[in-house]
Amino acid sequence: MPFAETPLRDEYAAAVERVAGRTLDALRGGGGAAALADPDTAVPRPLLAAVRVLGADLFAPHLLTGTEPDGPTAALLAEARRVFPTPAAATPEAALAIAWQDWAAGQVLARTPYADTASAPTPAAPPGPAELGWQLWSVRMSQLSALALPGLDGPVHDAARTDTLGLARGTVRSMLRRDFTTAVRLARWLAWAGAEDRPPRLEVAPILERIHLVGIGAVRTRLELVVAERLLEGTPK
Amino acid sequence: MTDTQVLATAQQLGTRAMSWLHACYQGGWGRLADNTIIDLAEPNDVYKPLCEAAMASSLVLRDGVAGPQDARAARDMLDGAWEQLRGGDMLYERQLRHVTVTDPLETYAHFARVGYRHAALEELLESISRLRAVHAVEIQGSRQLAVANARRVIGLSHRPDWAELAARTWLGALPEPWTIAWSIAYQVTHTVFHLTDWGARPQDLPEPMRDYLRAWLPVWLDIWIEIGQWDLVGELLIVDACIGEPALGSSGWEALAAVQREDGLVPRDAEPIEDDEESAIRAHEHTAVVAVVAATVTLSRALNGAGPAAG
Repeated sequence: MPFAETPLRDEYAAAVERVAGRTLDALRGGGGAAALADPDTAVPRPLLAAVRVLGADLFAPHLLTGTEPDGPTAALLAEARRVFPTPAAATPEAALAIAWQDWAAGQVLARTPYADTASAPTPAAPPGPAELGWQLWSVRMSQLSALALPGLDGPVHDAARTDTLGLARGTVRSMLRRDFTTAVRLARWLAWAGAEDRPPRLEVAPILERIHLVGIGAVRTRLELVVAERLLEGTPK
Repeated sequence: MTDTQVLATAQQLGTRAMSWLHACYQGGWGRLADNTIIDLAEPNDVYKPLCEAAMASSLVLRDGVAGPQDARAARDMLDGAWEQLRGGDMLYERQLRHVTVTDPLETYAHFARVGYRHAALEELLESISRLRAVHAVEIQGSRQLAVANARRVIGLSHRPDWAELAARTWLGALPEPWTIAWSIAYQVTHTVFHLTDWGARPQDLPEPMRDYLRAWLPVWLDIWIEIGQWDLVGELLIVDACIGEPALGSSGWEALAAVQREDGLVPRDAEPIEDDEESAIRAHEHTAVVAVVAATVTLSRALNGAGPAAG
């Protein structure tokens, strides 16, 4: 038991970083498979858990380059969803966020031979900015940033299209609070909305550059940053 | 429209702040020392607060939306301050001695606005505003606007290029809103105060600035409420009342009302209030001025629409 002293959640967090890193490499390499696991050996549980956490973002390299999701990654995600059922959430809001993240992963899987056999119902539309105020709404949207990918569309995306100002305010608020993780996730939504030809409200490129310069620790956050940059490159000038 | 709950909160906040400020001055605060000379070694000591209180009082009288008690307090504070300035003679002598300083001009505007006039000072100000030197003094964009607005309020004949002055400010550049800092925020608020003459001329704010402020004021208010910068929160509420249709809801007003002390003192920030009376006045008099102006301009804008056009 060489890792007996490593708390389990550290081990799982490290796996998320490793999987995010592989995905990032694939994205920077111009798409293609992330080669997450050796197909001939049993997949370790932390890796499977990490794959479940990353969800739709595993396929960012494909969706951003217009290629089809790769088979091995899809197989791994399907396996992860089988082994780890939807986690229990502390609050109804957290449960809804997880449901939407799962929905996004399911949508991508549906384009592969590994589509869920028992398709989950589409979750309820989350409350919008009119109900929550732009502060709370934008924080909730940041938790759903994995949905900001080409090829995914639904009520969450409609809300992002409709209220780019709320997203922009949330981005600026996070920047001023030096909460760069939330900022980059909201900037990603803004870049997505820009790619959808929505009014930009805020220049996203200087924000991404700033976050890049300030430096963000987590690889998973760097993945969000690069996804945002790619979405921005696709924005009609 | 500003909702009635906001107006009620604003009215109560402003009245209490006015009452505290008035009590401070009645209690002997704000006396210029007998040996005060026109060179003013310590202008921030008494002179600047005195002028700020006069400014708030002049806006209470200009806007005419205060109750009789507030109006009386405002008139009393203006009378007292005018007396301290020896009926304007001190401003006149200081401006005569120092051609390029701007505080006599700016201070006089608050008094002139509500009928305290000094003919010799006005003649002097007319004369020096014809000097290239006076306009070439190197000062910040928002300060340039303060000087221009003071000339406008007094009714001097100099006509600046307002659009050019506005463009030369930080706000005029419509900067990336996530780069704002505390000290820059004060430059932004003052740019708006002077361009609109404290809310009397909302239409004078260039349209791109208005759109920009409507987009980002709510964010700035939110972050400065979060860290308890109450003085700046109050200034942002004034800005909201100066830009036409308000962009902010009730959160700023509720936050200020919640921290206002029973006697009307509004703390400038989240630090503990000083035990010593005089230190407390020194630390928090500006925030009381801000609260009075925020309430006055907000109520005036809501009740009178565009409000009276000054100058």
